[in-house]
Amino acid sequence: MARVTPGSIEEAQALLAEGGRRVLFVGGGTALPPGPPVDLEISSEKLDRVIEYEPADQVVIVECGVTLARLQRELAKHGQRLALDPPQPDKATLGGIVAANSFGPLRTRFGSVRDLIIGVSVVRADGTRAKGGGKVVKTVAGFDLPKLMCGSWGTLAFIATVTFRVHPLPEEAVTLCARGGDPLELVRRVRAQQLEPAAMLAISQGKGWDVYLRFEGFAAGVRAQRDKLRDLEESAWPEPAPAGARVRFGALPTHAAQVAKALAPLGARLEWLPTLGLGFASRATADPAALQGARRELAALGGWLAADGDWGPAPGSLGLQRSVKQRLDPAGVLAPGRFLV
Amino acid sequence: MKQETPGATHLELKQQGQPLPDPLIKRFAAAVGAAYCYSRPEQLRTYESDGLASFRATPGVVVLPASTEEVVACVKLAREAGLPIVARGSGTGLSGGALPIPGCVLIGLSRMRKILEVDYDNAFMRVQPGVINLDVSKHIGPQGWYYAPDPSSQSVCTIGGNVAENSGGAHCLKYGFTVNHTLGVRVVLHDGSVVDLGGAVADTPGYDLAGVVVGSEGLLGIVTEVVLRILRKPEATRTFFATFPSTTEAGNAVSAIIASGIVPAAIEMMDTLAIVAAKAATGVDWPEVGAALLMDVDGVAQECEHTSAVAVELARKAGALEVRVPRDAAERELMWKGRKSAFAAVGRIARNYLVQDGVIPRSKIAQVLQEIAGLGQRYGLRVANVFHAGDGNLHPLVLFDGRDPEEERKAEEMSGEILRICLRHGGSITGEHGVGADKAAYMPEMFSAQDLDTMQLVRCAFDPAGTFNPGKMFPTPRLCGDKPGLYRPHPSEVSGEAWRA
Repeated sequence: MARVTPGSIEEAQALLAEGGRRVLFVGGGTALPPGPPVDLEISSEKLDRVIEYEPADQVVIVECGVTLARLQRELAKHGQRLALDPPQPDKATLGGIVAANSFGPLRTRFGSVRDLIIGVSVVRADGTRAKGGGKVVKTVAGFDLPKLMCGSWGTLAFIATVTFRVHPLPEEAVTLCARGGDPLELVRRVRAQQLEPAAMLAISQGKGWDVYLRFEGFAAGVRAQRDKLRDLEESAWPEPAPAGARVRFGALPTHAAQVAKALAPLGARLEWLPTLGLGFASRATADPAALQGARRELAALGGWLAADGDWGPAPGSLGLQRSVKQRLDPAGVLAPGRFLV
Repeated sequence: MKQETPGATHLELKQQGQPLPDPLIKRFAAAVGAAYCYSRPEQLRTYESDGLASFRATPGVVVLPASTEEVVACVKLAREAGLPIVARGSGTGLSGGALPIPGCVLIGLSRMRKILEVDYDNAFMRVQPGVINLDVSKHIGPQGWYYAPDPSSQSVCTIGGNVAENSGGAHCLKYGFTVNHTLGVRVVLHDGSVVDLGGAVADTPGYDLAGVVVGSEGLLGIVTEVVLRILRKPEATRTFFATFPSTTEAGNAVSAIIASGIVPAAIEMMDTLAIVAAKAATGVDWPEVGAALLMDVDGVAQECEHTSAVAVELARKAGALEVRVPRDAAERELMWKGRKSAFAAVGRIARNYLVQDGVIPRSKIAQVLQEIAGLGQRYGLRVANVFHAGDGNLHPLVLFDGRDPEEERKAEEMSGEILRICLRHGGSITGEHGVGADKAAYMPEMFSAQDLDTMQLVRCAFDPAGTFNPGKMFPTPRLCGDKPGLYRPHPSEVSGEAWRA
């Protein structure tokens, strides 16, 4: 297996145009699923330019190898940020974040990569360079290739550059914690009181939940919201789970309790975004039987669980998913065996 | 997009298809019920165009199915007969997305208007595609919830049409477009199979094909159910209306407000002609100044008080002549009515007009408006501007008299030049109206052949025979399996199974 580090997108194009090799695209390696061997790894390490940044337009264009932390430093100079907070920002690259649809608790308010990406340029399996979307926050011209790339796990094309909408940095932030709280009840309370947390995260170590809320924005609004939850203590935002393989799962937000029960046999620290019904389990056990059991219980609730590139039972749309993959990568050389297609 | 005020139709482009054979019509009638299958010329006339009224074509048959199963039956019949399919909601689209292909099967979704499920705890709603946009918010409003995308046509346009066009609206600056509020779709594909993409549970494994279907302008399939994200209403909304000597000061005010870190819920600009038109249509008592801004901030009450005060101050510093704050909800509603009716209102000050939908980086607003004004002078035509300033989505309305063919030609030419200005500034040919039949010719000016080819691959993955809405969005007809380059007839074309639009 060869590993190459192209210094330009044109070099990456040339590598792919040669054809005939199974290829894996590698960013910071924070979310890379395991899979069968490939012939070539293309690293985005040297594709690390911020191509264009216009603070007044709140739009930034980056090459895929720029790390999230580095981009945030650039944006912070102008009082802005990309409203995405997946783990390991020092390592995670923006190309990888798009490919893996990575996110963190800020998704509560700002949505996921699909809600922040406005344009993309890619290199197809045959070396063809193509783009979709644009560099304005609003465009509906053509099919939405940027969204197709979100969570495509390197199986459709090499994500070469990404254009994001960015947001102003908040003036003030406060974190509150409900220890032993019920995530669903807290979500109901937040809605009843018309509060607008930037992030909500419930954490369980096996015995009930601690629910964290973060309010951000102008000081007047942050303080007013803090005052409406007088009974909750102020707290530091919880430490992220230790780096390592994570199990991802999803279910309806109202199924928080059933999800905790289904995942209990993993003996893992659980993170749960209670307004979205998405979570992560840091891997405490490698017991495949426990994982399969948890997956079955989640599936019975209409949910899903993914671990180590195993996405569980195929969805009803698998035929169409495969059709998309087949059109864009007819030889099946991109990230083989890493996604459900 | 061209709007005709009554009486001027001499340049109407109308295409007639061959009438369909009676036995085929009978089969469609059996699929949806005779009362919902139209084939007589006077019935078909209603469906000849959408909001892009200057383009017309006659469908072969119009069917109004009442269920996913009936849609499936119609798709299978059309496929068997080798007929193209065009889907239609309320027909308010401004780019010809629902314009029939001559002789096509036009599937109207207006009878599928059930709200199927509302789940507040999980913040979603499941609806059929014929549900009217505003009815979604009306249905959940009493519980304190709403649906965010608010196109100006929201009292008549359908959710299915919104999904097809990825409709925006004044408030998408803060809240996003239809795609950001569509969690899942049920789609009838070209072969009559039905797939669910996305859904109420987030991030179900697989590509984000729901994200691709939204905004695909009816080229990928027919959406028969939609899972919408619904939002709790914000605690407060603060609105103000500010007037300026010209669009330059108004544009600077927008930039200053955005630069201060405020994310307005909406910030809309109108120039003199648009103000005059809105006054004529709705009776708002706005002064006839160079430009006006209408702005909403919403959210937690104390935050709104803060941000609206800051925004008003910034508007004054940028040169506002006057700032008005509505006294009550009724006055606020009237201000917004003035804004939302501004398009149609232009019909009161000109016989005909063309609407453009270009987008530019918002920092270029003042400069681009000057360039557009310069074009207007060069062509000797008046231009009214009413648009979403926060996201740089311009809606220049080029006014003309359609009785004068030369003036009409100039208006069309100038309208195209406006799009080119937007592209030169790094913008887009359409922010919310879609490409459709109207702007397909401009796609190669925004996208390379490789870009368009990649999009065609996606289309082919969904609809290999090009059954749905052929000829829309893409400038160059292409069948799946074609190599880009020289035209060669495709095998299915030779055998008569498919055709080039």
